[in-house]
Formats: sequence, C-alpha cells, structure tokens
Amino acid sequence: MNQAEVTKLVSQLRIKVNSRLRKFRNPKGPEERLNKLRKTVTALIKHERIELNYPRADEARMYAERLLSDAIRYGDCHKTTMEMADYWIIEKQLVHKLFKVLVPRYENFTTSYTRMLPAPRPYPGYAKAILELKGNPYPSLLPDTHTNRNLIHNVLLDEAKKAYRLQKYKEIADKVDNAVKTEAQAAVTQVDAKSENIEVAAPQDKSQSEKTAVAPKQAASQENVQVETPDVKGSLQKELNGEVKEK
Amino acid sequence: MNSIRKQFTCMSSKRYIKAISNRCLSALAEDSKRQNDIFDAEQKRQKEAVGRIEKIEVQYEGIPANETLIMNRFLSTPYDCAKHLGDKVKDKSVVALLNGDTLWHMHRPLPTSCKLELLHYHMPNPSAVNKTFWRSCSFLLGAVILDAFKDDVDVQLHSFPSPNVKSGSFVYDVQLSLDDWKPTVPELKVLSINMIKFCQKEHHLECLDVSKDIALEIFKNNPHKTQQIPDIAEHNGDKITLYKAGPHIDISKGPMIPNTRHMGRITVSNVIKLDTDIPGGPIYRFQGVALPAAITLNHFAYSILEERARNLVSNLTKKQFFTVQSWVVSEIRFPHFFSGTRNFLFGK
Repeated sequence: MNQAEVTKLVSQLRIKVNSRLRKFRNPKGPEERLNKLRKTVTALIKHERIELNYPRADEARMYAERLLSDAIRYGDCHKTTMEMADYWIIEKQLVHKLFKVLVPRYENFTTSYTRMLPAPRPYPGYAKAILELKGNPYPSLLPDTHTNRNLIHNVLLDEAKKAYRLQKYKEIADKVDNAVKTEAQAAVTQVDAKSENIEVAAPQDKSQSEKTAVAPKQAASQENVQVETPDVKGSLQKELNGEVKEK
Repeated sequence: MNSIRKQFTCMSSKRYIKAISNRCLSALAEDSKRQNDIFDAEQKRQKEAVGRIEKIEVQYEGIPANETLIMNRFLSTPYDCAKHLGDKVKDKSVVALLNGDTLWHMHRPLPTSCKLELLHYHMPNPSAVNKTFWRSCSFLLGAVILDAFKDDVDVQLHSFPSPNVKSGSFVYDVQLSLDDWKPTVPELKVLSINMIKFCQKEHHLECLDVSKDIALEIFKNNPHKTQQIPDIAEHNGDKITLYKAGPHIDISKGPMIPNTRHMGRITVSNVIKLDTDIPGGPIYRFQGVALPAAITLNHFAYSILEERARNLVSNLTKKQFFTVQSWVVSEIRFPHFFSGTRNFLFGK
C-alpha cells in the first residue's frame, strides 16, 4: 500500500473528538458556524478562562486543541500553521501570544491543553460550561484536595505509604541479615579461630541511622551479628545504600 | 368462571399476601420488626413528653453568614437549623459542633440555646468529621452483615472499637456460627454491593437516648449486647444511646453522619477470624474501607487503600478485646442532657 497512514498526518488530540460536528444552524449558513467558533477560540486564547453554553464550549475546544497542537508541532515558521492561526485568531496580536507564550507553556505537556468543566445550570436556561487553558493564572476551579493532609483520603494514603515503607525496610533488613549470616558462616568455615576475634562494630552511616529510626528491628539484627570481614561489610553497605536510594 | 374469579380475588387480597409474607419472614426480620416497634414507640413517647414548646436561640457561625435562629427546645435539631441555611449547607454538613467543644449528631434535638457550627469533610482540620464518618461506616457495616447471611447461619453482632482512621479500615466484630470461614472474593464483593445498596436507600441516621430497660428489651436476643448494656449505662448516667438506620438499630456513642447518602466508595475488604475465648462461637472481624461521596479519589489510589484494608487491624490486644465494654464506655465522652446532668457544657 502506498497510502500514507492517515492517523499520522494529523496530530492526535488528547481530548475526545466528537464523531459528528454540531451544525449551529443559522440563517447565514455554515460559514457563520465557523465565525462563531472563531470568536470563541479567540476569546479562549485571550482570556484563558471563559464561561459559555455547553455545546459551543465543547465544539470550540476541539478547534482550540487542534490549533495549539499544530502550533507546538510545526512552530511559527510553517506556512500552513501560520495561515490556520491567522484564520482562527481574529485579534492578530494574539498570534504572538500563541507562539511565544502558549507554545512554550505546553511544549512538554502529556495531557490536553484545555480543561472543560460543567458550570451551574441557570434556571431557566441551557447547560453551561467553563472552558479554560491549563496553566492559567487564575485560582483553581476545583477544590484543592492535595495540600490538606488532614482530609480523610490523605490520612489513609499517608498511612498506607508509611506501612509500605515499613514493610520495604523490613525486607531490606531481612535481606541484609541473611547475607551477613551466610557470609559470616563462610568466613567462619574458611578462616580459623583467628577470625572469630575480629569484631566489627555495626556500620554507622547517615542512611543507617535513618533506618534505625524507622526499623529498630533491623538495627537489633545487625548488632547480633558481629562476626564479619570488612570486605563483606563494605559490599553490603553499598548494596544497602543503593536500595535505599531506589526507594 | 365466577368461582375462579372469587378464588383469584381471594388470593390477591391483602390478607393472603400478608399471610404468605408472615410465613416467609425469618426470625431475623421478625426480631428487627420488634426492635423497630419498641424504638418507634419510645421515640414517640419522648416527643410527646416534651410538652409545652419553649424557644431557644441558636447562633450559627459559618458559611454563608452568621445568623441567629429561633428554634424549639428538645425538638429542633442541628439538621433543622441547616435546612434554614440552605440546601448546600444541609447536604454537606456532617456533624454539629455546639459552643465550640461538643460534637452533636445532626438529628439530635438541641436542649438549650447555644452557638452552632456545622462541620464538613473539606475543613482545614476535619479529624472529628473523619472519626464520625469512620464510626458510621462501622455501624452501617453491622447493618449489612446482619442482613447478608442465610437463615441457617446464626449472626450475633458483638461490637465495634472506637474509630481509628489511621488503621486503614473500619471494623465490626461479629459472632458467626461458621467454623473457620474464609471469605472468597465474590463473597466480599457481595458484601460490598449490599453495603452500597443499603447506603443508596438514603436512610437518615436517627439517634435516641433510652433507658437501660428499653435497651435490654431491644437487644434481648443478642447475648453480647445484653452483657454490654449494664456497663455502658453505668458510665453514661443510666442511658443508652441508640442509633438507627433504616431497620437497623445499634448501640453507639455517636455522633454519626446524618444520612447514608454521605457514603461514597465502599469496599468490604476482608473477614478475619479472631482468636478469642468469647463463648457461643468464633468471632470474625469484618473490615472495610470507604470514602465520603464528597471526596473523589482515582481508582489507582483507592486500590492502594483497598489493598491495605485487607490486613488485620490488630491494634487491640487480646486483653483489650475482652474488656470491650470499656471501650464502648470510653467512647462515651459527653454526658447527656436528658439524664439531667451536671457539667454539661451549656451549664458552665
């Protein structure tokens, strides 16, 4: 097949694209539909957060996303992209904002660039929505459930984290304990009674002191095993530090 | 034809249905009905005993604005106050705080003029609210367990310890006539679904102070509760605080959430057999985890909580387990007004 893959010709949007476009029927025909959407897209880029009727917001969001993703993908030296920017942005000074402010802001995004939230429905009236560009300077619309660690889910999650860490430290301690034991046994069998007199103090080091605070059992187990050769101790310490870093 | 019609009408008559349903009613349902009748009668009696209605002044502090409400003594509840303040306040308040220091169940009548604050899940420091929620979860879990088993399994609710959110799961200890039952995953799912369905019925959680005798009458078929009641009454001015959700009645210090609608995600995570000497059969510890509907959490984070809730909550030693009455008592912090009490915070 010599056909190009159609999906790769257009940058994939990170929002759900409606299978059928809304008509926004009006006396001036389909061109007026696009004019309405141009207004909305321009307003979105200008104000960064707008409240409007739900269908218009949903429709305009797709065009805004497409414009932003093209601007990021091709940059401001690409003729077609510039033409599209020229078409969709009615106030031309905003073209500079698109390429100089928004493109750098969204370059490394892995999610969509816009956010749409349902707004309270007026009575009588149609459903409303709030459409905003992510990373705008306004205060967040959603309640902040992350910073307050006293909220019930945060309390539960923090405790789960603590329990997980404790378990991991215990695993590491057991591992070290086993390794020390086997090495010590090997050393005892290899070397004569001479090696039994070598007493090495429990390794003391920053990471070690941290761990003793968390898992006292580990410290106890380390103190029990006092017979070990310096080489073994060094390698174990390295291993231990590496694992702690991973955590 | 006529005779058939006659027979048919006879069959569809209310009496016939009643007769069938009566026959089908298990001992459990009968017991529940009996308990409810006693509870309702006592509730009605207490309402009538109020007599002449006196007015009290409730000073509300908080959102949307500070207000002074004129309410009825011994009749109006914090929930009634919240209704005056709007739907939003009514729906999100979990528990009332009177005079800045007494937690008060939302459906418990107010005894005197007081300052009122309504607490919710998103406060800067919601530890009291979290505890209230956790306690209610235990209570509702009890309701679900009592209803979940077939008739051939004898279920006796024992008690639930004071709520500890940090333990990762809420708990109910239940005596079952099953030896060494280990629940399968589908069984746990069924329990979770039952609990969700129970909560979807949007029962109000009612609160009632009753005398020792009435409490004993209500729980006469439950040997554990019967044993606990005298001890609790002794430490609580001869009163027992009962909570009721739908048909289920249980003893608790309270306060609880106002409505089962507050429950969001719910999982009954594990059932573990406990090693105790309590006579009558093995005791199983039912554990679960839940979040309020007001707090949403993504499924991955919630799965971590579910995973943790599978571990046995064993912060209680065996010795403590036997003195179960003492925790129930230690839970009872505030003396109740109806017992004509002393250092009640309003009296100060």
